[in-house]
This record gives sequence, C-alpha cells and structure tokens, in this order.
Amino acid sequence: MKLEAKGATRSTVSKIKSKTYTYTNSQKLFQRALKVIPCGIPGHFSPAPLVPPTMYPFYAARAKGAKFWDIDGNEFIDYMCAYGPMVLGYNHPKVEKAAGEQRQKGDCMPAPGKIMVELAEMLCSTIAGAHWAFFAKNGGDVTNLAIMIARAATGRKKIVMIKGGYHGVAPWMQGYGHYGVIEEDVANIIGIEWNNVGQFEEAIAANPDGIAGFIATPYHHPTFADSEMPAPGYWQRIRQLCTKHGIVLIIDDVRCGFRLDMKGSGAYFGFTPDLACYCKAIANGYPISALVGVDALKTVAAKVFYTGSYWYQAVPMAAALATLKELKRINGPALMNKIGKKLFDGMTRICAGYGFDLKVTGAYSMPYVRITNDPSNMLHQEWCAMCTERGAYFTSHHNWFVSTAHTEKDIQKTWDIVDDVCKLLKKKYGGKY
Amino acid sequence: MDYNFIKSRLHLYAVLQNIEDLVQYDDEAKKLIKDWNVVIKFSVRKSGDVYLIFENGKCIVSETSPGKANIVLYFTSPAHLNKMFDGKANPIPLKGITKLSFLTREFPKLTKRLEYYLKPDDQKLKDNRFVTINTVMTLHTALFALKELLLFDPIGKHIAKKIKGSVLMMNVDKGPAAYLEQKGNSFEVHKGYHNNPLAVLQFKSMKIANDFLNGKMDAFSAIASGAVATKGHIEWLDAVSPVLDRIALYLT
Repeated sequence: MKLEAKGATRSTVSKIKSKTYTYTNSQKLFQRALKVIPCGIPGHFSPAPLVPPTMYPFYAARAKGAKFWDIDGNEFIDYMCAYGPMVLGYNHPKVEKAAGEQRQKGDCMPAPGKIMVELAEMLCSTIAGAHWAFFAKNGGDVTNLAIMIARAATGRKKIVMIKGGYHGVAPWMQGYGHYGVIEEDVANIIGIEWNNVGQFEEAIAANPDGIAGFIATPYHHPTFADSEMPAPGYWQRIRQLCTKHGIVLIIDDVRCGFRLDMKGSGAYFGFTPDLACYCKAIANGYPISALVGVDALKTVAAKVFYTGSYWYQAVPMAAALATLKELKRINGPALMNKIGKKLFDGMTRICAGYGFDLKVTGAYSMPYVRITNDPSNMLHQEWCAMCTERGAYFTSHHNWFVSTAHTEKDIQKTWDIVDDVCKLLKKKYGGKY
Repeated sequence: MDYNFIKSRLHLYAVLQNIEDLVQYDDEAKKLIKDWNVVIKFSVRKSGDVYLIFENGKCIVSETSPGKANIVLYFTSPAHLNKMFDGKANPIPLKGITKLSFLTREFPKLTKRLEYYLKPDDQKLKDNRFVTINTVMTLHTALFALKELLLFDPIGKHIAKKIKGSVLMMNVDKGPAAYLEQKGNSFEVHKGYHNNPLAVLQFKSMKIANDFLNGKMDAFSAIASGAVATKGHIEWLDAVSPVLDRIALYLT
C-alpha cells in the first residue's frame, strides 16, 4: 500500500522495498584526494561528521532539481541542498539563463557590471530596512565586515554573540581551543546564551560603552542540537537595548535568509536589524554574499576597506537577481515551508508508527530533525545513514534544507524510504527504544 | 597552571597507571611482582600523590590512600618528578629506607619494563604481543592524560565546559576499552566498557588502534574508510581532539 500524500502512516507492506547503495568510487577518489588535499575533503563537506561515513557518498557527479547523483551513479533526494545555497533546485532554467547571458557579456572584468547596481536595488527594495548592499563571496566575508563596520561606527571593541552560534571560520568566529585560534583572537568576544536577554544586559553593564555589536542568527540553529526559536519579545527587547546603548544590531541571515521571508528574517520576527548578512539562498548556488544595512551606517560602511579578487563577478550577481525574482514570484519561503511541513509531518507520523519520536525544530524550510529515543544519538545517526544509502540524503549533525524544487514524488519516495528504514530498525532493536 | 605542574600530573596520573596493565599483560612483570606486598607512595609537592599498591600478584594505582605506605618517595616540586622521568633526578625516600635494596634493584626492573612498552619502535611492533600491550597502555594513557588536561591545561579547561554530561569511550572492537565520564566539576576515567556511552571512538583492530594512537595513521582516512568509527555525540570527540593532541606537548 502506498502512503497517501496527505496522511503518511506506517506501511502495511512487510517487504522492504528499497535497495542500498555502495560507494566504491567515492572511497577510491577519497584515497587519491588524501594524498594531495589536507584531510581529503576539508571543512563542512568533510565525511568526518557523517556517521558512519562508509554509508554516505563523498563526491557528487551532477545535480538537477532536488536531486544529485554521486560518482557511483547513486541517486539522492537532497535534503542538504548543498548545505543551503540550493533553493530553487539545481540547474534552475531561469537562473541558468540569466547567468549564461551575463557570462556571454562578461564576468570577471576590470570594473563591476551594471548588474551590481541592479542587484543592490533589488535587495534594498526586497529586504525591510535595507538601504544599501555590499557584495562579497561567502557568508563569513559579510559577517566579518559587519563586525568591522560596527567597530568603526562605535569606536568600541567588544562583540556579543550567542554561544554555539556559527558565523563563519575567521578566528574570532571560532571558539578558543579550535586549531589555530589564539586567546587574543577571541579576547573581545562575549558569549551569551540564546534567548537570554538578562545576560545581554549583564554584558552591557559589565562593559559600559564597550560593546560595538550584537550578532546572532534570527533563530538559534547550532549543529548537533535542536533549533530554538526566539522567545516572544526577545528580538524586540534586544533591539531596544541595542538602540539605547548605541550597539549595532547584526543578524546573520546567511542560513535563514529567503527561507523564512523575502523581506528578511528581521521582518519575519518583527524587528529591524542595523546590518543583515546574506549568502546561501541568494543565488541558488552561485558564489555571492551580501551585507545590507540601514542608512545611518552607509557612510561608515564606505570607509571600511574590504574587498576580494572575485567579489565583482557579474555572473553570480545575475544569478542572484534571477533567483530573487523567482523566489519573489513564487513566494519561495512560503512554498518551502509548505513543502517542509507536509514532508516532516508525514515523516513524524511514520516514525511514530514504529515507536520512534522524530523531533522537528526550527523552520520547516530548514529544520533540525532528530530521533530522540536514544540520548546518545546513535539510533538517530543509524537512521539517517540508512535513509541516505537508500536515496534520501539525511545528515545527523546539521539542520536540513528544503527547496522549492522538492516535488510530491520526492516526498512520497522519502516517506517510503523512511518507512522501510524504521521497519528495519524496529526489527533490529525490538522494544529497546 | 605552569608547564611543569601539568607535566607532573600527567606523569603521576597518566603514565604511572600503566603499571596496572603492565603487570596484568606482561609475563615478565607479572613474575617480578608475584610476591610483592608493598605500597609505594609518590608524593609530589604542589602537584599530588599517587599510591602503587602491589598485592596478590596485582597492582592498583590509586589517588586514594589505602591507609599506609611502606615506601614514600618524595619530590620537592613538579619539576623534580619530571626530571626523574627524564632520568636526571632521584626521589627522596622519606619512608622505607630499610627497603633500599628493593628500591634500587627490584623496582627499577619494573619501571624498565614499563619504559620498554611505552617506547615502541619498528622492531618491537613486529611482535603482536607488544602491539597489544602498547595499544592498551597508549589508549589508557590518552584518556587519563585527557582528564588532567581538561582540568588544568588552559585550552583543556576551556574545552571542558563544552562537554558537560559526557561519557566518551575509546575501544578496540572486541578488545580493550576505557572511558572518560564527566562528574560534577571533574572527570573520572575507568578501564573497561561503559554500558551506555554517549560518544564512542572505536578501532577496528589492535593494529589500527596502535597506528592511530601513535600518530602513524591519517585520522581522516581512517574515519572515512571505517577503520576507525565515531558515533554518538561526535561533537564531544571533535571538541577533545585538540586536547588529545596536546598530550605530546607534555609527554615527549
């Protein structure tokens, strides 16, 4: 019996339908890579947090829509969306057309293209409170720029950020103890708990006229932990305190941006940040990030010298413009949340049918998904890996992403895989969980 | 905390505990201590005390006093102890002068045996028995040293705040195991398996464990290929990785 789209439940079919994948070519290529690339695949694409890595593909061969194929020919429904950048589906025709046309005209040139101004105008007319835009490549480029602007504007040193929050890989963004980070790198960083206004007030009191900026994601979405929404009135209180004490309020909208609200996540939660950082969903996979800000910070932003060799590339700007237009046209954030709600409500019901508690936190467009039955997370890791080697690409340590390209068929297939895997795990563990 | 203090803690609580394993696994050491019935106290001013309790052909290394010590070896400072481990100083025997011949003849035979196993070379590593004993000792040393670094090393103390509630287990598949458990404001290390570890670093074989723990194997390759498996709260394993790397700063 097929699971019905509107009400996924435990399958009554006892036979396990899905086949498992093998990754011979991925493993071979990884061994080659280790000889010439530190740790084979560095950074957030590293196989290390995939548990166990042997049940995951390491290299992608191609991608289309909401799917990708690895170098062993295995097909996956992608719930990581390149860890966020893919938002409309891989190889989206409108985005590719715009990028292609711009490529014919010119990409990396000795002066920016007209497209840079058009994109800035688009961002300013789209994001609430944005009066200017500055372009770079990665999210970390613009979170770092935001801090520099906050310091330049206030003449202060300290930055308040949320413990467990991620803003990139510059030394100040990483905690002391990480390789290559020295105490001095984080000497002016004050870490406070998410949703704790009192700690922010204490930090302000302990550092009178010392705090330049407050930076946080719109809601808390750390790795290895459930996502947490802001408590009612949290952002409004933070806004008040920042305004009262002359602190620049920065939101890192790199991950949530255009997955909650086209007007920005500040608008979604009912406040206006001074600076907002965007990347990931902005250009459907093309390399570009943006910092937008309020008018009062434009002059200071102009004085901070900050640039990069490829930051004026016109092709990613054209892709970004096309992506934003399409997201606006279809109301992308609402669509992704609708798809996500259907998908995850169904998955939760299927898991519950086998006695597994699937907890979904954060926005449906980019939730953190976790089976809670086992406090060590080992059951959850096994479940994710087994779903992946059957074609639904799930990771166990990071929030997932939904795109506008995920179809009813994808959802149905994902439910079938989840059902198969839950059945196998139930058989394996019986009533243990 | 200064370098010598931390180094002395590692010597006292991470290196000396290997004598337990030595007399359990090595026939020569086992024969040597067969009839020993003695408690040796290592007392290091401004660092700590440790008791080596030899009884019934076994050895227990303990931070807790068993009641009395037949022999007390005193060190005037952490640096004094560290110099002894480098072979450049001797302890001051405060008690047990009458057992001088034991201290000068018998006990050094045991410590030489310990040194033999703690310093592997290519020739020794051809012997499977040596590999097993060296692996057990290295695994235990790593976890006991990790505890000390989480308590006293500047980076370790910072990382300790991130692994609240942790139970980290390292084991060889169907082989030796040990775990570190966070308790209150401190940590405990136990040899053997934990029933419900929250994070596991598991080696597929003794040889793989030996290569991995002695830095002879690329960690990323080992994990990606499945030779070394991590599971559970791997963020804790990730967090302590730089701390484990710091053992070499003190024990080389």
